[in-house]
Amino acid sequence: MDGRESAGRTGSGHRSVPHTADLRVEAWAPTAEGCIGELVHAVVGSFAELGGARIVGERACTVLAVSDPDLLAGVLEEVIYRMDADGELPAALALGPIRGLDGARSIEVRFRMADAATAALVGAVPKAVSLQGLELAAGPDGWTCAATVDV
Amino acid sequence: MSEVEIALTEAGRHRWRIEPHPPMRVPGVVFANDALLPQAAGDRALEQVANVATLPGIVRASYAMPDVHWGYGFPIGGVAATDVEQGGVVSPGGVGFDISCGVRLLAAGVGRDELDAERLRRLMDLLDRTVPRGLGRGGLWHLAGPEELDDLLLGGARYAVEHGHGVPRDLERCEDRGVLAGAAPGEVSTRAVERGLQQVGSLGSANHFLEVQAVDRVHDPETAAAFGLRPGQVCVMIHCGSRGLGHQICTDHVRAMDRELHRYRIELPDRQLACTPVDSPRGRAYLGAMTAAANYGRANRQLLSEAARRAFATALGVGLELVYDVSHNLAKLETHEVDGVARRLCVHRKGATRALPPGDPDLPADLAEAGQPVLVPGTMGTASYVMVGLPGNEAFSSACHGAGRVWSRHQALRMVRGERLRAELEAHGIAVRPASMRALAEETPQAYKDVDAVAAVTEAAGLARQVARLVPLGVCKG
Repeated sequence: MDGRESAGRTGSGHRSVPHTADLRVEAWAPTAEGCIGELVHAVVGSFAELGGARIVGERACTVLAVSDPDLLAGVLEEVIYRMDADGELPAALALGPIRGLDGARSIEVRFRMADAATAALVGAVPKAVSLQGLELAAGPDGWTCAATVDV
Repeated sequence: MSEVEIALTEAGRHRWRIEPHPPMRVPGVVFANDALLPQAAGDRALEQVANVATLPGIVRASYAMPDVHWGYGFPIGGVAATDVEQGGVVSPGGVGFDISCGVRLLAAGVGRDELDAERLRRLMDLLDRTVPRGLGRGGLWHLAGPEELDDLLLGGARYAVEHGHGVPRDLERCEDRGVLAGAAPGEVSTRAVERGLQQVGSLGSANHFLEVQAVDRVHDPETAAAFGLRPGQVCVMIHCGSRGLGHQICTDHVRAMDRELHRYRIELPDRQLACTPVDSPRGRAYLGAMTAAANYGRANRQLLSEAARRAFATALGVGLELVYDVSHNLAKLETHEVDGVARRLCVHRKGATRALPPGDPDLPADLAEAGQPVLVPGTMGTASYVMVGLPGNEAFSSACHGAGRVWSRHQALRMVRGERLRAELEAHGIAVRPASMRALAEETPQAYKDVDAVAAVTEAAGLARQVARLVPLGVCKG
């Protein structure tokens, strides 16, 4: 397994796990929002090194979904969309609290964006998020999440 | 995710059957020998074959080609047909995220014996500099804006040729003459348009590539000649799809169908199988958007062909003639006989290639007697195949689409270093131009099934016949 794993899974962390053709990543954190942030770091870190990349500004968005797992997919899809449409990748992100809204779920996200053209490519580039095996749930030791990303 | 045990029974030579236990509506049929059956720990492709058999309106069987492996919803290497008039569904997961991902083969006016190491290096360096791939937005064609993209979504490779990117003969050697009818750009979301606008003429990453190859062995000289191939001939194989636009269309429509399943009382074992009746507003909307993406994929490969032609002309002073261009991620409305009755079917091929037999009316005139070329890319270290469709193919005239993965990317990275792999390939005379060393390691030839075995089993199972075996000389890896 690759990734940033804390001892006993008590803090925050992420790792990639085997999937035959694509990228499967898992993350854990004390909060659901922290868990989504960890997964974004896991996915971006799987294909781009942003250490020397040029920061180009901030972007904010509100992601809406029917469930917490779909909210996770929505945030990842926002990252992929910004990469393709604007050539930007998040060097950092801040997530507001997940809110319930008329039966839906929403979260506000602020990205600190880097110019993707100045990033170092280190892996296959993600293009979509599968609904299969999409997870975000509370457990006895905090929150865990997982997603399979098409590359 | 818990695993489900799937029981296979042998049902003929290289043919296995999964009995149709409820909620399966038809059996599963897997074409493979013992070695090609999905065996990697955690590979759930056979469970996915069984899941596909639950789709409303599915007929005959849920099929798996010899290169089958784990996908999402559908397995990669899966074929399923639904009866449109019997409430049959269309499932974007049965097409895949990369709509109209496919393969194009071009034959060069030069033989392998005329291409020494220095000429090959010069050619590969030129391709390396001029074929966009990996991370970034820069495609070869800078479209004026969304309106011009709409024209391209309607016109496909034909639109590209009409604008100077290729020659009319190219269209004769493209599936559907380069343009699939029925595209509905209005069903393509703004996000999909934004993602696709700057990527026309780019390879992408992962398993996509542009490879310089040579014809290593000809199994069927007459058919090879009809295709335009001869022993020792240098070729170019291009594998790519509809980039961010196709992925966004799949994402948008899977989400919409997932929300509307209750409307048609559809119950599914896997959310990624989300579907809707073909004959419904949502079904028609998806097929219109999918067709637009198919045309984008064909135009994309047409642009990359032009980049290859420029490089061959500059480095070697020779041209490239299109052998064939075929999609292996697509759903098409086709008429097939089922239980003695001609029926209108929605045939999903996900990681599977249409394989028309000799005499099929959809073939271009110069291939009518030979049959349709079936392009089977292998790996950058082994081989690729050109096959031809056969009559009597029970899987709705479908065949394999590649070698099929057996290792996860994760496992490949643990076992292989990109720098070492590159050195090994170069030592075997294969010039490698990777987008990144890690991405190269993920695509190590060991991560795939034995393509020679896949081609042999495909032929023995009656799906397609081997025509020529190609070996790599140089690869631009996405």
